[in-house]
Amino acid sequence: MNLIREIWQSIVRRDPLSTDKGKSELVFFNVWLHVHPAKVKKENLRFKHTFYLGFITFFLFVILLTTGIALMCYYRPFPPQAYQDMKDLQFVVFMGPFLRAMHRWAAHGMVICVFLHMCRVFYTGSYKKPRQFNWVIGVFLLLLTLSLSFTGYLLPWDQLAYWAITVGTNIGSYAPIVGGQLRELLLGGHSVGEAALLRFYVLHVAVLPTLIILLTIVHFWRVRKDGGLSRPVWKLKPNKTETLVTIGAPLEIAPLKTGPASKDKTYGLMEVVTGKPIFETVTPEEEEDAVFSYPYAFFREAIALMVTVTGIMAISLFFHAPLEELANPAKTPNPAKAPWYFLGLQELVSHSALLGGVVAPALMVIALLAIPYFDRNPSRRPSDRKWALWLFSIFVVANLVLIVVGTFFRGPGWALIPPWVHVVAGAE
Amino acid sequence: MRSRLPQIFFALSTLALVLIVLAVWQASTPSWKTYQRNFLQLEAQGEPSAVTKAAVLATPPEIHQVMLTGLQRVDRCTTCHLGVDDPTMKNAPEPFRYHAGLGPHIPSRFGCTICHGGQGLATEKDAAHGKVDFWQTPLLTRDYIRASCGRCHKEGDVPGVPELTEGRHLFETQGCRGCHKLNGVGGSIGPDLTEEGANRRSPEWLEHHFIAPNAVSAGSPMPNFHFTSEQARALTYYMLSLTNEEMGTYYSSVRLIPSPEYGRQLFVEKNCIVCHAIGGIGAKSGPDLLGVTKQHSPEWLDEQLVNPDLVYPGSSMPEYDLETNARKALVAFMTSATPQDAQEILSGKGHTLTPEDAAIEAGKRDFARFGCAGCHGTELQGGLPNPNAQGGEVPSLLHVSDDYTKDEILAVIRNGRAPPLDKASGPTPPLYMPSWKNLLSEEDIHHIVDFLWSKQQKSKESW
Repeated sequence: MNLIREIWQSIVRRDPLSTDKGKSELVFFNVWLHVHPAKVKKENLRFKHTFYLGFITFFLFVILLTTGIALMCYYRPFPPQAYQDMKDLQFVVFMGPFLRAMHRWAAHGMVICVFLHMCRVFYTGSYKKPRQFNWVIGVFLLLLTLSLSFTGYLLPWDQLAYWAITVGTNIGSYAPIVGGQLRELLLGGHSVGEAALLRFYVLHVAVLPTLIILLTIVHFWRVRKDGGLSRPVWKLKPNKTETLVTIGAPLEIAPLKTGPASKDKTYGLMEVVTGKPIFETVTPEEEEDAVFSYPYAFFREAIALMVTVTGIMAISLFFHAPLEELANPAKTPNPAKAPWYFLGLQELVSHSALLGGVVAPALMVIALLAIPYFDRNPSRRPSDRKWALWLFSIFVVANLVLIVVGTFFRGPGWALIPPWVHVVAGAE
Repeated sequence: MRSRLPQIFFALSTLALVLIVLAVWQASTPSWKTYQRNFLQLEAQGEPSAVTKAAVLATPPEIHQVMLTGLQRVDRCTTCHLGVDDPTMKNAPEPFRYHAGLGPHIPSRFGCTICHGGQGLATEKDAAHGKVDFWQTPLLTRDYIRASCGRCHKEGDVPGVPELTEGRHLFETQGCRGCHKLNGVGGSIGPDLTEEGANRRSPEWLEHHFIAPNAVSAGSPMPNFHFTSEQARALTYYMLSLTNEEMGTYYSSVRLIPSPEYGRQLFVEKNCIVCHAIGGIGAKSGPDLLGVTKQHSPEWLDEQLVNPDLVYPGSSMPEYDLETNARKALVAFMTSATPQDAQEILSGKGHTLTPEDAAIEAGKRDFARFGCAGCHGTELQGGLPNPNAQGGEVPSLLHVSDDYTKDEILAVIRNGRAPPLDKASGPTPPLYMPSWKNLLSEEDIHHIVDFLWSKQQKSKESW
């Protein structure tokens, strides 16, 4: 028995969870959990503050990784076989349709949740100093998510995939000077073919996941270093602009001083860093507000995880991922549509190639990246930032309207046809 | 707050477990397993002892498939259609019934979908029968299934399927190529027909379309050719057989079935009667062919057809460069040939052509083959409606030499032209003259003009 206890002790290396020390050590001593602080603010955990969108996005990504690796075992990235492998998944592989559906719906879900997460961060003003650059990383994560979804779209090699990518890459090629070359580099040719499938596969299973994992690590780490989640707007102190101080950030305080090392004390960061070691001035009431991450935060996160997983599983049980006919370059569907999240751009392209293919996407990305530096207003209170909220809401609504119009209101020949009007396919 | 969290977590975990069980259950109860169980029960009925019965029933379920690399397909139909090659299942209920009358088309070499259509990869009924969205070739019904013979047997007659021969003949003589491309040759006014049989269009639709194009496809510029229902059926068969699939040599070698009828056709085409006689009827330069198959083995005859000089050094018989099945067809014809055949062949032969007439004949053939007849009519009468073109119809070519010089017409054929408009503001007429210079050789174009002018002179004489 002693041996077992010893082995257990060697693994967990912490005090029992019945003690406060044990609870904090559970978090600190564990490589997987140490991104959490030992204690978090009770109010920060409220559902209506974050809707747990960041976590849900992350959990969807975990689902995508696991199902994606499983799918890789059944997939060959060459034109005729790729499609046959899809058919095999559908008809022969045990739980194949379920696996593919989970991957598909989790991918769509991730695109949606990343976007909603961005909206939440904007509306709560959580991108403000010192979190400006984390917002920028977030924008890159959004772009990576879109790229992952887009590259994955081609892999089934059916008509839907083929033409969505053809249209999608055409939108990109409207960029001046480099557009054409960029498209050629991506496709490995002038049109979507064998080379394009292989390149998209490499991007989808190797390059982009690596990048997104690296950036996610930085994203999480910075959240932690910036003092955890931002305070809910309703907890902001009245009449006092919040100053957040990052540990290690230089301040206008006396230069670094280090005292002589005392023998009976281990060196900690506390001793070498000057300035306020904690991100906010902690009043006794606030200290009362703080709860241990374990179990308060962990259980909530676990619940978010279970909701995500069960949700995706339930959808996948009843709705299978679509699979159309084998890709046929000679047969253009009418209308050929890009993946839904690019349909807003396609809608713009249908009015003006320059506007939809170049100006709008470039402006959108630049505007998103510039937000934390352009918005000099230090206040996070909604009443102080009406303009910003209005502008961002217009941006969100415009995007949604364009996507809805492109998805549901565009029929053959890109004609404006409401979804409730049934179009009889003509001579074709 | 604290007390409820573990309960919610536990409830959700239970839900996740239930969902996983559901997913496993969904995946482990496919309909084909039920079919296999039913089939085993059917098989077990015929077993004499309880021991063998139990052994049959204990067969584990598995997916059956025929890998057909030469046909680029995998057919899993036999996963449910388990009695296809088992004659004892002659009276079994579907899907277990034995498939009689397959002849040389054994399932292990041909699978099912090459003839029947449907989705070979699927293991679920509706999907396998192709009656789902996004599958181009659903099962063919009894009325149309013989069209599939034309997928492999692309040339000559197919015994039992006269519709295919008729359909091909109509296609080449009615000028379909004027508007439609087939294997790269033809106009581009109508859709390319190279893979028409692989398109999801029901045979009924096609047949209807040939009888009344505008009734099924509103606004189609395709004129009504007033086909009879037999002709429409024949063309439908031909269209269904056009799939442009790549086939392995095992399958493509029977492109042409070596039938005596085809042999006779070749005999006429290659003018054998000019040197040979059958039972004394015909020429005497070569040996009489009556009973030749009794004197020589088929191999000997075949060798003779490949290289006459090798068998009889100094033989005056030319090499005809015939493919294997064409040679077999000729031998088959010779087995049954009679003096009456020779008589018929001789009487069907006209006088020898002068070079001018030969050019006109070639022009006439090209006119039909490249589809000019489709719009301008087999008798050059024109007259197809073409809204908003001058005169409202495709021009007749009967009086073309009154209005144009030969060079002008040559230029029109080479470069094509849009018809002059009736009303400048009206819509573009659906039919137009395509440019032919990339599809026809200069020689062909000249032949066609010669043919047009020859018609002209005749009508002048009759004037």
